[in-house]
Amino acid sequence: MSSKTANPIMHSAAWRISLWATLAFAIGTMLVFAMLHRFVANDIQRRSDAWLTGEVAVLGDVAGRTPKDRLYGRVVREVAELASREVPNKLRSNGNENDSVFFLQAGDSGSAKLWVGSGDGTANLAAIRSTRVLPDVPFDLRVQGFGSPFRVASVRIEDGSNIYLGLSEHDELHVLRNLRVRFFTLWVAIVLLGFVIVFYATWKMLGRVSEITEAASRIGQSDLSSRVPDTRGNDEIGHLARTLNHMLDRIESTVHQLHTITNSLAHDLRSPLTAIRGKLETVLASDVREDHAESIVSAIDELDRLTEFLNTSLDVAEARADALRLSRVEVDLDELVRGMIDLYEPSMNDKGIGIQIRSAGSVKVLADPALLHRVIANLLDNELKHLPVSCLVCVSLRADDHMATLTVEDNGPGFDAEIGRHLFERRVKGRASRGHGLGLAFVEAVVRVHGGSVTAVNRHEGGAQLTVTLPLCEVQKREEPHAFALLNG
Amino acid sequence: MQLLLVEDELEIQRFLKQSLTDAGYEVDTATDGRAAAELASGKRYDVLIVDLGLPDQDGIDLILKLRQSGVSSPVLILSARRSVDDRVKGLEQGGDDYLTKPFALAELLARLRNLLRRNLAASEEASRLRVLDLELDFIRRRASRGGEVLNLSPQEFVLLEYLCRHAGRVVTRSMLLSEVWGMRIQPDTNVVDVHIYRLRGKVDIEGREPLIKTLRGIGYVLKDR
Repeated sequence: MSSKTANPIMHSAAWRISLWATLAFAIGTMLVFAMLHRFVANDIQRRSDAWLTGEVAVLGDVAGRTPKDRLYGRVVREVAELASREVPNKLRSNGNENDSVFFLQAGDSGSAKLWVGSGDGTANLAAIRSTRVLPDVPFDLRVQGFGSPFRVASVRIEDGSNIYLGLSEHDELHVLRNLRVRFFTLWVAIVLLGFVIVFYATWKMLGRVSEITEAASRIGQSDLSSRVPDTRGNDEIGHLARTLNHMLDRIESTVHQLHTITNSLAHDLRSPLTAIRGKLETVLASDVREDHAESIVSAIDELDRLTEFLNTSLDVAEARADALRLSRVEVDLDELVRGMIDLYEPSMNDKGIGIQIRSAGSVKVLADPALLHRVIANLLDNELKHLPVSCLVCVSLRADDHMATLTVEDNGPGFDAEIGRHLFERRVKGRASRGHGLGLAFVEAVVRVHGGSVTAVNRHEGGAQLTVTLPLCEVQKREEPHAFALLNG
Repeated sequence: MQLLLVEDELEIQRFLKQSLTDAGYEVDTATDGRAAAELASGKRYDVLIVDLGLPDQDGIDLILKLRQSGVSSPVLILSARRSVDDRVKGLEQGGDDYLTKPFALAELLARLRNLLRRNLAASEEASRLRVLDLELDFIRRRASRGGEVLNLSPQEFVLLEYLCRHAGRVVTRSMLLSEVWGMRIQPDTNVVDVHIYRLRGKVDIEGREPLIKTLRGIGYVLKDR
């Protein structure tokens, strides 16, 4: 159990919901960014391609028209340098040294005819020659010695040589990298924030649900008059709470009806019984003949048995319908059982029956002591009435696994096989029994109302064994604050 | 001794009044809460006997109202209800008592005397108690008869103590169960009787007058004269 409760947050539904929601949110935003990134990258490329093709066309035009004299190189170089100052996406960072643009005029073979740019251009020419170039379409070019690739546009001029204009993609990549870094930081922040918000919201929401569950189970256990809190909201949880309360209203009214019926039945029968008994006693007090007195006494006895039967059968009926009123307090079963045995031991010894108790000490349960007294009295009465001479009754009490277990066993003849299965039904009794057959039905009903169970078996080695379990006190105490502690966090 | 009997069932009221009068009490009767309140405000009663199911109000409400208006006499509650209300249990702790219907008249009379006595001498803190030649020493938890120490178990001492404190009056089995053993049960076996027989075996020794008398169908009495 301790491993399950070690980290209650990690095992809550709110935690799982938040994890999944955050995952979905993270993937979704990542996809949106990937699309945006792609769009931005394409757009930047399109702009630089447009600039490159425009400029290279101008340069081709200039190169074509300029006479091929000594000034040719200077003119074209001037124009190329001018063009490089209008580079798009330019960050103007690395001083005057302009290594982001190069201009190259070269034939299909041989060295460069004209070179404008940093370095001597041989590496660029070699890279161009080793790349398969489609005419009029800008292409990417990796040049040895440069960190970033170049975007290159080319044009063929009349003298058969090619003019290449290259633009470093350094700035473009820098912009995109910046975009990615910023996005990623923002993304992490948003995902974390989203997780916190979703977790908080579901935690609150599910907290209301567990509050309702807690209240409902408390109502189920003890009093029917209280109601589930949190009926204000107009959301699903508010509906749930109101529906539960509505159901409780109906249950309460049914139980109340049962109380009314049993109470009026009891009242209507008891008043005449009281009157009859009183009159018989009054007659008995006056001078009557011995034989008349005898029959009056036996009539009184019969009346008392009738009363006891009436009481017990109404108790059983109410207990079966979960309508028995309990006034629960902390009861030490060990003390209670020892008290009962003190009461019963002399009678048992008189009949030649031995009784012993095995108990390791105090076993606390939350129960109605008056009803428990009657339950144990019933069990011991049973032994006293049905056991033959020189048998032994052993009462053992132990606490394990949140339950108190009380076992009453004997080495007598055991239960009749034919009634074994119906032992806890009303009016079932052995043929030799003089009782009203309600004893064990009462025991079972009362124990069940307390959240326990009763089993009866015949032992292998002979004799009957009756086992009563009742929930221990500590368990009920521990559960309640635990559930609420989670909600308020 | 003045009693007020509040009971709406005329049959029951009649035989109760008869038996109580025969037992030597002066009995006034009322059939509802209003009449009872009027009677109780005009006269001081030694004990009130109140049925819980009155036509005009709940018996407990009547008792609480009387208590508020200064009536402090002990109350014996009669109830036809099955389960005993927590409120009745509360009253019981305040020194009052209750009986569920139907009850034995002897039980009613025994409890009535118990209440009256409790009312007269609430403190019973003497360290010794004598009944005829029987003497109880509460400090040493020892009983002796005619100077001869009786060999009693602690349980038997408590039982004898209860009988001695009620010497000369009937105590019923259910009184013994609730007062000596602290449980309100009605066993359909003779568990209480066996305890009494054993006690009698030790107290009523040969050659001495038997003190513990059985009243058949009612209970026991310890003779005090």
